[in-house]
Amino acid sequence: MILLKSKKLIFLLLVFIFGLFILSGCGRTGSPEGELVVYNARNETFVKPLLDRFEKETGIQVRILSGREELVNQIIEEQNNVRADVFISNDAGAMDFLRREGLLAVNGSALLESIGGQFRAPDGSWVGLSARSRVLIYNKDLISEEEMPQTLQELADPAWAGRFMITRGGNSSMVTHVAALRLVWGDDATREWLSAVKDNAGAIVGGHTDIRQAVGAGEFEFGLVNNYYYHLQLEETTGSNVGAVYPDQGPDDMGVFVNVAGLALINGAPNEENARRFIDWMLEEEQQAEFSYYSKETPLNSEVRTVEEARRIDQYKVMDLDLADLGPLWNDARALIEESGLDLGI
Amino acid sequence: MRILSLHTRQLIWRGNPPGLFLEAVALATALVMVIPIIYVLVRGIQGGPGRWLALLDGRIPLLLWNTLSLTVIVTAGALLIGVGAAWLVNRSDLPGRSLWQWILALPLVIPPYVGAVSFIIIFGPRGVVQNIVSGFPFNIYSFGGAALLLTLFTYPYVYLVVGAALKRFNLNYEEAGMMAGLSYFKVLRKITLPLLRPAMGAGAILVALYVLSDFGLVAMLRYTTFTTAIYYQMGSFDRMSAAVLSVVLIFLTLVLLWLEYRTRRRQRFFQGNASYSCTAPVPLGRGRIPALAAVIAVVVMALLLPLTILLFWSYNGIAGGALDSRFWIYAHQSLITAGFAALGCAVLALPLVYLKSRHPSLVSNVYEKLALGGYALPGIIIALGLVFIFNQYLPGLYGTPVVLVLAYVIRFLPQAMQAESSSLSQVSPRLDEAGRSLGFSPRRVVTGIILPLIRPGILAGMALVFVSAIKELPATLVLRPPGMDTLAVRIWIEASEGFYEMAAPAALLIIIISALPLKWLISKF
Repeated sequence: MILLKSKKLIFLLLVFIFGLFILSGCGRTGSPEGELVVYNARNETFVKPLLDRFEKETGIQVRILSGREELVNQIIEEQNNVRADVFISNDAGAMDFLRREGLLAVNGSALLESIGGQFRAPDGSWVGLSARSRVLIYNKDLISEEEMPQTLQELADPAWAGRFMITRGGNSSMVTHVAALRLVWGDDATREWLSAVKDNAGAIVGGHTDIRQAVGAGEFEFGLVNNYYYHLQLEETTGSNVGAVYPDQGPDDMGVFVNVAGLALINGAPNEENARRFIDWMLEEEQQAEFSYYSKETPLNSEVRTVEEARRIDQYKVMDLDLADLGPLWNDARALIEESGLDLGI
Repeated sequence: MRILSLHTRQLIWRGNPPGLFLEAVALATALVMVIPIIYVLVRGIQGGPGRWLALLDGRIPLLLWNTLSLTVIVTAGALLIGVGAAWLVNRSDLPGRSLWQWILALPLVIPPYVGAVSFIIIFGPRGVVQNIVSGFPFNIYSFGGAALLLTLFTYPYVYLVVGAALKRFNLNYEEAGMMAGLSYFKVLRKITLPLLRPAMGAGAILVALYVLSDFGLVAMLRYTTFTTAIYYQMGSFDRMSAAVLSVVLIFLTLVLLWLEYRTRRRQRFFQGNASYSCTAPVPLGRGRIPALAAVIAVVVMALLLPLTILLFWSYNGIAGGALDSRFWIYAHQSLITAGFAALGCAVLALPLVYLKSRHPSLVSNVYEKLALGGYALPGIIIALGLVFIFNQYLPGLYGTPVVLVLAYVIRFLPQAMQAESSSLSQVSPRLDEAGRSLGFSPRRVVTGIILPLIRPGILAGMALVFVSAIKELPATLVLRPPGMDTLAVRIWIEASEGFYEMAAPAALLIIIISALPLKWLISKF
């Protein structure tokens, strides 16, 4: 009896130790096709169906780590011990920052050609798939399209004081937008503009969902959002009488800033072949369409079908800059935003 | 030389040294428990004067204010509710008090971040209430929101500790006061409350420690304290600053632990033998109805409301297919990692507990105190330390579930130690001696006599660790390998994306699992 008990204990210990070995190898020897580790900074619901389909079609086991911008730092921290194969990001600024840090791998795939040159890295290491254009959503009951400001510069005009909403300064779309404005306007003008807009804004909120819903409900006349928030608001049962102004469309104007969501190939990816295969697969038209369809963004490839209410990428004037020039401006854009007095958080 | 070392060994163990193997395991365990913390401290101090000055100038004062003001308000609120409720159910003629007695302890099973999800569903800017009463003036994403919710989910600590004190309360003092002609109110103020002060202090410190370490609730309510600042600092581009902030937080925690140590020491003179007699409960008179209303209000807010909301949203979620294969994979992963954590804690706690009980000395005491380190400190700090260490020195294991399980073991080992140690203290050393005199080897005594006898304690400890690990959020969030999300992490992800009906079933499951060892949880106090 007593011997039995002690055997039991030794058995438990053995289970624990072997278990740890099994755990440490967990999932590493799953499929004969190998695996693909995806760091995903995008809303997981938008990405998951695609990843599931890729897994089914290829037999490659996909493992996801979902998070937010902190994944960028995780990739930096892990550069001597790379785990990620592909980074799915909502932000060209973040992806290009990684490229400049030498953390992305060159990709020469011919399929990249389907995406306009200004929306991907010159070495192909990251590529945008869908457009996140910065537009003004407005409530049609409160203001008409003609009365709306037609350029972003006008938001600094006291005439609009208290009438519109923006997000907090640390919102990643805001940060990259500011980086782009720095490139067009220069640092001083951008800082002054931000400072005035901050004072003018009727409300500074955490995210764009707050803006679209408040504008839809008529709390404010308009707000600065990404295009798909406008598309989302159109679907609401209440508060859907909204429109969108694509600002800065005049012949001398700078055009709309278009950020992208896309894919980056990690340097030293443990499953590099699968990663390249995945990116090529994503660049097929069907997947391009699906990638932006769930999120209601618009495809960067104007050949690809899009949500009906959206303006296609070739139907408005886009800011004339290479997103790959944003990397260095992006990194310290937060500092400039703080200098302007716009808080990063709320 | 060898003789000398043998001699010193005899000395430090007071002539009763344990087996070398046992001591080696205990020492190794104790060291593993503190290495991550020490590593964070070292990295933080190495952060350099520039970084320290910049943070001391800007972030730290703000964070101190945010964290400390929240701690003070929540502790005060928890004291108010906890002491009031404990007194009402133990000493007054509150209607249905034996029922309320255990219902009031139940909010303990709701992890605060899960409670926060349900309150965001109701009171969030796009929540149920805002849909009905547009412009409802309460913003949950605020200091007030964080303070209210933390109070609601932490008052049971005070309630249980003070309730236990009231149960073994010596009524003679109160009677003496009454006979001296004091009104009951005066007795309460001059005699009862002062006598309860040690219990109140102990409960208050539990609450304060919890507030300092809480990550999930404050993060979900977008309120910045040290833990959330450390998390977001880790996510931005500056892990050194995260280490610097951690040093400050460790310091704050140590101050509180020191306070706890002091109150516990002072508690010793407390009261003679209890003469618990069945005295008549204090009549509340006209206060009965308001008191009952207050108790009901607390139970509704801290228990019924969250549970109802989660049930309702779970129902919606399940109808919408939230219980798909992914859900069960996450549940499975939660069970596996928490299960291994429980097993690991149970095994590793044994040598420490055995040394403390059978070979008491300064050394075994030090080992035990070292092992407590991970429990007292916020999970986010343990996670930071493990990231530093594994990424740098053990890259092969970095990003595997082993690190996650190790984090759980570091965090929750003391729960297993407590359970095993209270079991072991009931096994008389005479039994050991009897075994030895019958010719058993010391090892045989342990495996043949002690282990079978303390098995209930081992199992209880495992249950406690298991539940804690299932609920754990911050360390899991930081250390989870790709594809290894747990239920807690899923709640975090789904809620932060606004998919509350997807978060609700997982939240409900966690509450159910947490409720299982409630018996042990409550009897601990």
